[in-house]
Amino acid sequence: MGYFKNIGDSITTLITGMKVTMGYFVRAKEHVTLQYPDEKWPNPERNIGVGELDTYNVIRSKLHVDIDDCIGCKKCERACPVNCITIDTLKTDKGEDIGTTKLGTQKRLLVTRFTIDMTECMYCDLCTFPCPEECIYMTPDYRFERGDNKEVQVTNVERWRDRNNLIYEYSTVPKTEVDRRMQIIADAEAVKAAALEKARVAAEASAAATPKPAENREITPGSGEEQAHE
Amino acid sequence: MIDAFASWMLQFGALSWLGTTPATILAMSLVAVAIFIFVALNALVLVYVERKVSAFMQVRLGPMRVGPMGTLQTVADALKLLLKEDIIPRFADPILFRVGPWIILLASFVAFAAVPFSPGWVPADMSIGLFYVVSISSVVVIGIVMSGWASNNKWSLYGAMRSAAQIVSYEIPVGLSLLAAVAVVGTLNLQEIIAAQAGVGNLFHWIPIPFPNWYIFHSPFLFLAGCIYLIAATAEVNRTPFDIPESESELVAGFMTEYSGIRWALFFLSEYANAAVVALLTAIVFLGGWQSPFADLAGARFGMISLTVLALIWTIFVKYKVKRLSIYPIGTILALTVIAWLFPAFAIWLATPGLVWIAIKGGVVIFLLMWFRWTFPRLRVDQLMYLSWKVLLPIALINLAGVAVWMWLTGAISLVG
Repeated sequence: MGYFKNIGDSITTLITGMKVTMGYFVRAKEHVTLQYPDEKWPNPERNIGVGELDTYNVIRSKLHVDIDDCIGCKKCERACPVNCITIDTLKTDKGEDIGTTKLGTQKRLLVTRFTIDMTECMYCDLCTFPCPEECIYMTPDYRFERGDNKEVQVTNVERWRDRNNLIYEYSTVPKTEVDRRMQIIADAEAVKAAALEKARVAAEASAAATPKPAENREITPGSGEEQAHE
Repeated sequence: MIDAFASWMLQFGALSWLGTTPATILAMSLVAVAIFIFVALNALVLVYVERKVSAFMQVRLGPMRVGPMGTLQTVADALKLLLKEDIIPRFADPILFRVGPWIILLASFVAFAAVPFSPGWVPADMSIGLFYVVSISSVVVIGIVMSGWASNNKWSLYGAMRSAAQIVSYEIPVGLSLLAAVAVVGTLNLQEIIAAQAGVGNLFHWIPIPFPNWYIFHSPFLFLAGCIYLIAATAEVNRTPFDIPESESELVAGFMTEYSGIRWALFFLSEYANAAVVALLTAIVFLGGWQSPFADLAGARFGMISLTVLALIWTIFVKYKVKRLSIYPIGTILALTVIAWLFPAFAIWLATPGLVWIAIKGGVVIFLLMWFRWTFPRLRVDQLMYLSWKVLLPIALINLAGVAVWMWLTGAISLVG
């Protein structure tokens, strides 16, 4: 009777299979995956961490800085365990107003460089907590693509291993401005150095004119410092 | 239909200079063109539907880009196929390679000649219509073997050989299952087969049952015959799960491996034309063809009321089984009761042309074929032969005898007189 059992088994299993496919057919829309380029997960609020299924979209994917709010305190740079944040700052002139942050703090330092190396970043989120201005945070933007391949001057093979593509520069201070300020500082230092040199030469000349005994110099060790302060 | 069409054309002054014979030839050509347009549009629509059905069954969305919901995808594909380079392999047989697809298309195309689309609407109303359709459909195998051999490719030849074995084997269950219906109705004319299925179904010519008088509901034996026909016909038109002649995973595409462009499009046309022929034949022989269900007003009202009672029983059953009231049976009952007592609704029901009814029925069968295709895995060659010769054939034979016994019991035939 294996013959009839075979037929019966065939019919029941076929009907089972047809039930499965019909179940999917009548409510396919419920099971279809996200149609990615057309639909995306909604961008979350500033909420960090991987949660349950309903907060699946709340993910740490890219570190971001609101550079307008950055005061250049370098707390995030020090907090970073892998040193992926690099910050350079310049003092501004006395009385120069470079704006306030969104929390109302007057900015004192010009952030000339703020790079985040996303190949180094390990998404630990430790840098966001020390920030006094709440301007560095994780975003759910998981797309690291560049708009145009021509931007990246590497071959197709190299593109995948070129980590420089993932070093993000956030500073908006133009290079000419940085150069200008650096030039001013350099000029000031040059003037200062020239003045120091002049003073030193004058001191040597006066020292040569009125020689002191050697024991006297040892009794007054602070004289060199006094000279520098002048 | 041809003669009526020809005489209708001769009525007009502009066409009256035509003699009877030229008018008939013109009518034939026009009908043939109409059927060809039907075949082409049929393939165009069915390709889209098949892609959508398969997508939904596999939890995808299918074509979505070209046109609204991807409706113009098939048009784009057809244009691409028309514009593609026509490649013929260097060592292929040049004549047979070109002729093969046309024979396949012709065989499935000519089968439409005997298909009744509506009362009086049959291109050739022949007394052996059923026999004609079944026999002309098997000419396809010549084209398949021809293109498989001419391709000069081992996969193509394998596909063609498998196809020959398969189609020849499954002819027999197809014939025997159709013969069961023919034994009941006593004619091979398709219009007469449809006409015999009018009205409300009955048991032993005595007890009315709430089903249409279609042969699928005629008796357990004819129900079985319908199932066997559907299975065997699926195999005969090479659709999954019986698509071993063109099994993609083993033979690339079987006999159509070497074809591309417009010739490959011909294969596709014939594939869907075949599916349509099978679906229409199922609808005609087992589902009442262009008859509306229950056929007349009293019958329709009876059928509707019976179905209302059935829905009520179903509701109670569901409530008893899952311990909560399902909304769907109640909705069904309400809808059916309203329809049953609304006279105008019935007028629409009865006035619906036969073309629509046969299209609905054929569409249901085609959906069933697609459902099979995207659910079942492919049979192995030996399993295919086992199914045909050891399962379907004996059951169909016993079934035929069973139909004869049923006919004798119900008094339709008598052994004595």
